[in-house]
Amino acid sequence: MEDFLNLILEPLKELFLKFKAFVPNLLAMLVILLIGFILARFIKLIVVKFLTAIKFDSWSDRMGFTTLMRKGGLWNKPSAILGGIVFWVVIIVTLMSGLNALQIPATDQLVGQFFSYIPRIFSAAMILIVGYVLSGFFSRAVLIAASNSGFHYAKILAEATHTLLMVLILAMVMEQLQIAPSIVLAAFSIIFGGIVIALAIAFGVGGIDTARRIIEREVTAKSEEETKDEIEHI
Amino acid sequence: MKSATFRTEVHEQLERIGQADIIVGIPSFNNARTIGHVVRAVQAGLAKYFPEHKAVIVNSDGGSSDGTIDVVHNTSIDDFNAILLHHRVEPVSKIAFPYSGIPGKGSAFRTVFEIAGALDAKACAVVDSDLRSITPEWIELLVKPVLVGGYDYVSPLYHRHKFDGTITNSIVYPLTRALYGKRVRQPIGGDFGFSGGLAQYYLTKDVWQTDVARFGIDIWMTTTAIANGFKVTQSFLGAKIHDAKDPGTDLSNMLFQVVSATFELMNTYADIWMPIRGSEPVPAFGFEYTVGLEQVNVNTTRMLNIFREGLRNLGEIWRDILGAGDFGEIERLGALADSDFHFPIGLWTRVVYDYALAFHKGKLPVEHLIKSMTPLYVGKTASFIIGAKDMGQQEAEAEIEKLCMEFENCKDYLISNWK
Amino acid sequence: MTDFYQTGIITTLHQLGKPSLERLESELLGFSKVRPIALVLPALYSEFEGPAMPGIIQELTKVKYLNEIVLVLDQASEKDFQRVRELMAPIPTDVRIIHNKGKRITEVYETLARNGLDVGEQGKGRSAWLAYGYVLARGRSDVIALHDCDIVTYNRELLARLCYPLANPNLDYVFCKGFYSRVTNKMNGRVTRLLMTPLVRSLQQLVGHHDFLMFLDSFRYPLAGEFCMTTDLARVNRIPWDWGLEVGSLGEVHRNYSPRRVCQVDIAATYEHKHQSLSPDDAGKGLMKMAVDICKSIFRTLASEGVVFSDGLFKSLLVTYLRQAEDTIMKYEADAMINGLSFDRHEEAKAVDTFTKAIAMAAQAFTENPMSTPLIPNWNRVTSAIPGIFDMLKMAVDEDMR
Repeated sequence: MEDFLNLILEPLKELFLKFKAFVPNLLAMLVILLIGFILARFIKLIVVKFLTAIKFDSWSDRMGFTTLMRKGGLWNKPSAILGGIVFWVVIIVTLMSGLNALQIPATDQLVGQFFSYIPRIFSAAMILIVGYVLSGFFSRAVLIAASNSGFHYAKILAEATHTLLMVLILAMVMEQLQIAPSIVLAAFSIIFGGIVIALAIAFGVGGIDTARRIIEREVTAKSEEETKDEIEHI
Repeated sequence: MKSATFRTEVHEQLERIGQADIIVGIPSFNNARTIGHVVRAVQAGLAKYFPEHKAVIVNSDGGSSDGTIDVVHNTSIDDFNAILLHHRVEPVSKIAFPYSGIPGKGSAFRTVFEIAGALDAKACAVVDSDLRSITPEWIELLVKPVLVGGYDYVSPLYHRHKFDGTITNSIVYPLTRALYGKRVRQPIGGDFGFSGGLAQYYLTKDVWQTDVARFGIDIWMTTTAIANGFKVTQSFLGAKIHDAKDPGTDLSNMLFQVVSATFELMNTYADIWMPIRGSEPVPAFGFEYTVGLEQVNVNTTRMLNIFREGLRNLGEIWRDILGAGDFGEIERLGALADSDFHFPIGLWTRVVYDYALAFHKGKLPVEHLIKSMTPLYVGKTASFIIGAKDMGQQEAEAEIEKLCMEFENCKDYLISNWK
Repeated sequence: MTDFYQTGIITTLHQLGKPSLERLESELLGFSKVRPIALVLPALYSEFEGPAMPGIIQELTKVKYLNEIVLVLDQASEKDFQRVRELMAPIPTDVRIIHNKGKRITEVYETLARNGLDVGEQGKGRSAWLAYGYVLARGRSDVIALHDCDIVTYNRELLARLCYPLANPNLDYVFCKGFYSRVTNKMNGRVTRLLMTPLVRSLQQLVGHHDFLMFLDSFRYPLAGEFCMTTDLARVNRIPWDWGLEVGSLGEVHRNYSPRRVCQVDIAATYEHKHQSLSPDDAGKGLMKMAVDICKSIFRTLASEGVVFSDGLFKSLLVTYLRQAEDTIMKYEADAMINGLSFDRHEEAKAVDTFTKAIAMAAQAFTENPMSTPLIPNWNRVTSAIPGIFDMLKMAVDEDMR
């Protein structure tokens, strides 16, 4: 009878012991989460204050981020959104550390992977931001230069520049994040090469006449220009 | 401030000369074809009008490869009797050398200022090296007001075709006049006279690593002189004809250089121009005469085409800079037929002020901002050409005067939005 | 808007061709010496942080013909008030800001309450009313123009066209309402399209010819928030403080002036502002509240002009309205098709359902208490009750602005 009781109690005891060993870990996790949450709020506050002080919002207006956000339906201030992002990053990091504190092998590995992935996320985000600013800059430069020389298709040209650069940058970001790198590379090569070939064919086959007309018009326009405009602007 | 370093032979030359009363600077870059004429005219002018003064001609060269410096060295007037009644007492020295620093007219001028300092010159003048219409009298007109009249800065007055100098006429002159309250008609003329003191003052400004060192130098010199209270005057030099322009110079680049320098100076001297209202005339020397107007070919259809293409492609940028109301007016202009095209002066004034404000607030990268103004400027120019087609010189000048008054009257708008 | 059809019994001023803003403004500048214009802007602080107000300020900095701008700022702290003052500073016109939540203005409201003058709850109506009071107190302007501060597509041409009919001394108008097409890639302006017009037409069907209904039906956009009026009109008009503001004001205009002296003007080719969400279940907010207030306002005005509202009439009205609204949806569907606009028939039908509910609720509320009136007393009455009120208001604003 006693054996039978033991048979029942033994696993329960073991469970209790395991649970007893686990409780401090759980407590540690809860404390970490609490501290992390407070820390996250605090860091967010500091980030927002700092961004307001350096006039991040108006910079973002100029760089076109605000417009981008508005297009995406985000009507908050850019600084508030960045603050929110920082907040959630800190929360995720705390969550991961909290999971770590539980000392369960399965989560440990997950946490390890997560932390080794962070630098990639960071550099991908940097590439995306810098790339977005640069592609905007270059496409506007193309737009203005083409438009000032009276080129009729300036807008299309600028949009094409923008799209091509963005494709390039997105490929770089994907590569950085190691999301199916081989597929990204293949897809990128196909898309980029495809665009070039399509243009070549379009101009080569379909556009011979158009190309000739454009060139002829450019040439005649040029010669007209040289003979016609005699005023001095300065 | 780091001073430009002269090569040893220049130093030796300077030491040999010791002191000079007048410095005439000629910046050059591949001007072998024309610079001979300019040097001869300057020599003759110095010999004829300033025989008692010690004068030096400084050719500051940007590294020409066509032997410009040799031409300067070899040019001399063989027979002074042809133009002079008596022989010159003091000889004219010549210094010709390649300058160092950022390539550009500004760096060339900087060395002229430094030589003026080294030689303790009383008066200086600078003239372009591609001038075809320069006469010995120019030297007198640019130097005498400084040497005798007590002026610090002499800006030129030219007789020009009514369609020429449109950047000056529609942007730089009205803006400079409204801002600083002095009616200097050719603030970016290119030929100036100034005192040794002003040359030294220019050197105290640390701008030689900026765009001023390149092409913004003309407006920078004029504005610095006016804004800092130097005594300014003008001299009527007659016609300005230069060598055919390099066809490679692109209009939007030219506009960018001049306008960005002008706007940059607005930032620097905001405290000075803010309180100024209205404007006053600046005294002028020289005998003014009118020259006949030759026929000039302008293709306004092509210009208006650029304006309309600009409207189509740059519309969003313009709307952002000008605001919806004035952009609506621009759109209305885009729908007009060529013959009815008229760019109202009030609208143009607000366009220029809005661009200045956008520059001040850093709405766009500077180069994009100002280059996006090109089609608007081209449209305004076309409108002026269409409107002034049958006008005489006087009437065309009256139109510019009207524009200037508009700039002055709207200055409050600029001031109240400038923060 | 390119037709030149005259709608109903009031004058319609169309936008024909591409009139020059330059000319319009220079004429206005001339008129403004004879008839000085005040612009009243009821604004919330949040609008300064959104996309609309910065654009409006940018445009107003270029307007020279205004005599004064009175901005009534609501839902703003003291700090916000100071910030708004800074933001408004570039405008060349004399800008007065009424800090609606400020200590002094609160005191003004309390004085009114102490003297038995019920000025209602906080909202656009009360803000506008207070601004009129301030303009009257200053006595410097003859014409008052008003537009909302949430217009994203603001262009100063809108203001110029709105002011013109009253500013021009050769035209004898006392009230001018703006209209525009609310089209983006679809048709907006649901309340006007699917509630106002069908409801007014249904009422005409049921009660027969009625001047006020004719008058209402003449307006192309009766709910537009943009209008312009003489200061005399501002003095005698009573304004509802709820959503019935626009309709109620039209009712007062109709009561006090002949339709010949009323006009509407096409003020903008495109118009975009903040949208109200449809909240079919909650009568206390959103489009639903707006619809109920508007219906009540119409019923009340008609009742005061002698129309008898019986239970049967209301029952018929619901059915007639539904029929009218369904027909209207079909009309607009065709309109959308020919213009290649997207048209969500289901959404439109849902809106009609909501509006039907609103009419029923308004009818019930009216039957239960036909006397409940959200009208703020007019300024003539206020000044006779508290003779010093103008001075007090002026002092409060001037102190705040110091």
